Amino acid sequence: MNKHIESVTEAVKAKFDVLNTEIVRDTQAAVDLKPGDVHAALAFLKAQGFRQLSMLTCVDWLEDKEFQLVYLLFDWDKGVRLQMRARLDRDNPKFTTVTNIYPGAQYYERDVHEFFGVEFEGNPMSYKQLFLENWDDIPPMRKDFNSRAYSDKKFPVREYKKDFTKAGDGK
Amino acid sequence: MKQVKLFLGPQHPGMHGNASIHMYVEGDIIKKSYLLPGMLHRGFEKTMENRTWMNNIGIIPRICVPEPDPNEMVFANNAETLANIEVPERAHWIRMLILELARLAAHLMAFGGCGGPTGLYTAMYWAQADRDGILTLFEEITGQRIYHMYIVIGGVRKDLPKGIEKKILDYVDDLERRLPDYEDLVLNNPTIIARTKDQIMLPAEVVWELGVTGIGMRSATGKAYDIRKVAPYARYDKVEFDVPTATYSDALTRIRFKWLEMHQIIRIIRQVLELMPGGKVREKALDGSALRWQVPKGQVYTAVEASRGEYGYYTVSDGGIMPYRVAVRGASFPQGLLGVEKYLPGHRIDDAALWFDTMGICSPEIDR
Repeated sequence: MNKHIESVTEAVKAKFDVLNTEIVRDTQAAVDLKPGDVHAALAFLKAQGFRQLSMLTCVDWLEDKEFQLVYLLFDWDKGVRLQMRARLDRDNPKFTTVTNIYPGAQYYERDVHEFFGVEFEGNPMSYKQLFLENWDDIPPMRKDFNSRAYSDKKFPVREYKKDFTKAGDGK
Repeated sequence: MKQVKLFLGPQHPGMHGNASIHMYVEGDIIKKSYLLPGMLHRGFEKTMENRTWMNNIGIIPRICVPEPDPNEMVFANNAETLANIEVPERAHWIRMLILELARLAAHLMAFGGCGGPTGLYTAMYWAQADRDGILTLFEEITGQRIYHMYIVIGGVRKDLPKGIEKKILDYVDDLERRLPDYEDLVLNNPTIIARTKDQIMLPAEVVWELGVTGIGMRSATGKAYDIRKVAPYARYDKVEFDVPTATYSDALTRIRFKWLEMHQIIRIIRQVLELMPGGKVREKALDGSALRWQVPKGQVYTAVEASRGEYGYYTVSDGGIMPYRVAVRGASFPQGLLGVEKYLPGHRIDDAALWFDTMGICSPEIDR
């Protein structure tokens, strides 16, 4: 396994209350943190060389009643990647923005807000809709959202009558 | 001066795909701008949660239209990492060949595409005609021109057809012979130089702030930040190629980089065809029918270097026959959304389309 990713994982372990670590592959590791530690850990890792937030995304664990936020960090000089994960309560999904550490997170947070309903306090635009126009249901990427039922409700099957041209056929 | 509200796109000859830039302009100068995405939102991520691993192969190439193959590569790579599958040696080399041909096609399209907003349509016609030659090669290899569905979990779908090596070599020889013509037509063209030299700058700080990758990153930071070099996948560590870098990123530099990278792609393709070993191309990935494959539990992210930058998937499996969650990182997400909001204002209206083109933005991968 890559020496650098090992030392970084150890450093995070020493500094923060790490719930779990996982080796995903040779150049990739995953660290599970408490939500309260995420900002300090991101700032720490950015100083360690993880200068890029590749993506912020979210996973809905319906059975555990939790949302998992995943921050994917990449170190371009060493070529190693870190998944930083934290779980939030599904009934009250609120978190604080990380745009002061990674400004590029702004639109990823909007994306997660729109598709999962996680609120990011401090992100000025997070309440605005981005991709979906006039959405009127629960956030669509949640596991309890049924796209088929929504489609049936929203776009009912039309009935065409055979004689619909009668009035216009000139008789 | 009075502020006027203007839309660039979604239906506009200078716009790349169906997204729209909402601009407030005073005279010629853009004062405020936002990207309005969502016109190509097809709900891929949700759809993929309701399809089996093998079924998904048919959907994912559609996420990025000009360069669909990185999608197949990262999807297959994620599943292989979770299930611990060794891909046969020959399949690695075929994957590289496919990815490089796809990159060449995408670069041609983007390089010629700068002719759209500048009025140099000849470049566009030439590049499209050359791209068509690659599509013909793809058709012969995979059976499809645009969406190949060729890289699958465990290798590639089938072996290369007989005699294709010669056709590929003939094609790249022909293209290489004409690359100087492209330089004369576009890069040495006084009109293009007037429009792009020292215009539409991308400083290194902005690269780090937004998270821009690909040509934008390499032309601003001066370092070879290419995933093929930094964290090689397939067999990119076995072939020789250079990554062009610069520390001054204006629009002309970024257009020139596409032209320079085309030379390197041709170099890689020749080495791949020379070094490619024989043998199997597909490993039986998992037990049972391909439609009932159960990929072991886990969460993994894989990224490859697409023509626009880092392109990756985050895949979560709960051990079922369908992925639990797939998240797509489109290479143009940072510059396409935050970049348009923060750094497009201050440019002229006529530069907006050129800004979009040279930053490497592809709207289908923003919307997903």
